[in-house]
Amino acid sequence: MREHSGLSKTLAGVLVALYALIALIPLVWILLTGFKTPGDAISYPPTVFFEPSMEGYVNLFTSRSRQTPEYMASLPPPETWYERLVRSRNMVITGPSRFAERYMNSVIIGFGSTFLAVFLGTLAAYGFSRFKVPLKDDLLFFILSTRMMPPIAVAIPIFLMYRELGLSDTHLGMILLYTSVNISLAVWLLKGFIDEIPREYEEAAMVDGYTRIQAFLRVVLPQAKTGIAATAIFCLIFAWNEYAFALLLTSGNAQTAPPFIPIIIGEGGLDWPAVAAGTTLFLLPIVFFTIFLRQHLLRGITFGAVRK
Amino acid sequence: MVAWIFILPTILLLLAINIFPLIWAIVLSFTNYRANQPGREVKWVGTRNYERLLSSEDIWGYLQATAHFVCWSMFFQVLLGFGLALLINRQFKGHATWTTLILLPMMLSPAVVGTFWTYIYQPQAGIFNYIINFFIDAGTFSMIGEVALAPWAIVMVDTWMWTPYVMLICLAGPRSIPDYLYEAAEVDRASKLRQFWSITLPMVLPFLMLAVLFRGIENFKMFDMVVELTSGGPGSTTELASINLKREAFEKWRTGYSSAFAILLFLTVFGLGNIYVKFLNKVKER
Repeated sequence: MREHSGLSKTLAGVLVALYALIALIPLVWILLTGFKTPGDAISYPPTVFFEPSMEGYVNLFTSRSRQTPEYMASLPPPETWYERLVRSRNMVITGPSRFAERYMNSVIIGFGSTFLAVFLGTLAAYGFSRFKVPLKDDLLFFILSTRMMPPIAVAIPIFLMYRELGLSDTHLGMILLYTSVNISLAVWLLKGFIDEIPREYEEAAMVDGYTRIQAFLRVVLPQAKTGIAATAIFCLIFAWNEYAFALLLTSGNAQTAPPFIPIIIGEGGLDWPAVAAGTTLFLLPIVFFTIFLRQHLLRGITFGAVRK
Repeated sequence: MVAWIFILPTILLLLAINIFPLIWAIVLSFTNYRANQPGREVKWVGTRNYERLLSSEDIWGYLQATAHFVCWSMFFQVLLGFGLALLINRQFKGHATWTTLILLPMMLSPAVVGTFWTYIYQPQAGIFNYIINFFIDAGTFSMIGEVALAPWAIVMVDTWMWTPYVMLICLAGPRSIPDYLYEAAEVDRASKLRQFWSITLPMVLPFLMLAVLFRGIENFKMFDMVVELTSGGPGSTTELASINLKREAFEKWRTGYSSAFAILLFLTVFGLGNIYVKFLNKVKER
């Protein structure tokens, strides 16, 4: 690595920081909007300094209905701070919204498919890494090529197939589908990680009387821990963010958060603070994962092609 | 034989959920099947769906919109991503933190981000229009409501999201350049510009091309972010191939016809991808 002069370093730093600050404006704006009132959210000019309100978050988690002043007066005093907030808008809480349910679906389908993809992917990656498989390169390319299909193109026959099998709008159906999409990434990434573990370790273990399966479980798996964790996070992020399949193949029961967040309606159009609140809660885990994954990010996004 | 115990489950899953449906789609593409009328008699129509597709002028419009989106988003991402990588490579103080911050947008859900950008682009309350008007007097305009602006609105959001991707891959490039190349160039009194053209660029090119390959494929398939941002409008100015495919398949329920469209799209990605990889390998060998 060449040493650059102090001045050119400072200039580079200033330019990069400037880009980062501009690029972060939309994200900061999402965070801020979640704490605005619906009025503040659509005011002109846009407000940067405002009195924070929890209305967006309350609206996100509740369904409400507007009532007459007479009815409002006849109610007993509100018991909680969020009831008080809703009442101040001449509304009452009629129940929880579906957001928590959709979020849970995202968690169940995300973790389910991640577990399955990493489980199958580790096995296949080990197979490809350690054995002479006939047509190995063709099989690996075939696995990768399944990722080139536009999701909508896959969705047409999957839609028909799931209708026949009764898998439409079920958690199991979505878990299987996301697993099949993620498995190409899992196999390619994990093969790279396992390739880096010296064969001699298992061979020594097998000389000591371990079977192949035992050597895989007790020698290779512990060595591949970091790689498996990084792969799992990549699979989880994909399943978490996926939209097209969720939109087309789920409706009531197994719908995840991405198709739900855009349709959080308030009075007179989209309820922007609630949308922003939902977006914030949805994106936050990914922000942490990204920071956590930083070291392996390059490898993950290139299917293991660039390893640094 | 032990190898198959490890590999077979994966292959079986892919056969069941990718290859079987693909074959089904190929079969459907030669029929007049409509998924919303399961009772209707299904007829073989030969290659009529494909003939209709290839002679349809609308399809060329959607493909042009897709090409505009892919080419311009690639152009800006390569320009900004490569530039940022060169700057970050100077190893200024705090560069790791800034890099991580820059990386955030690309990990987020495109659909959710697309939704939120409709708010950022709002003519009145949107922060984007406000910032533009702060610098130049542009008056009231709608980035996603005007025919002339909407194709650029989606390019911009995509560039915002994916410039970090190109940047991250390019960052691996300069690291692979041995110092002695530059030292030799210094001895030969080659100018900085000359060093860039004959050392840095050729060494980074394979990485840059890899980034373009991955992003190109993804953007050719683009659906989620754009459908939430513009839903193909105004008119059909941002109706990308995948968005039109969804309309034909799941709104008009022309299952046979849309299957043919899906197959053609897949063949296009696959064909272009393969040609590109051949080209990439040639560049690598040089």
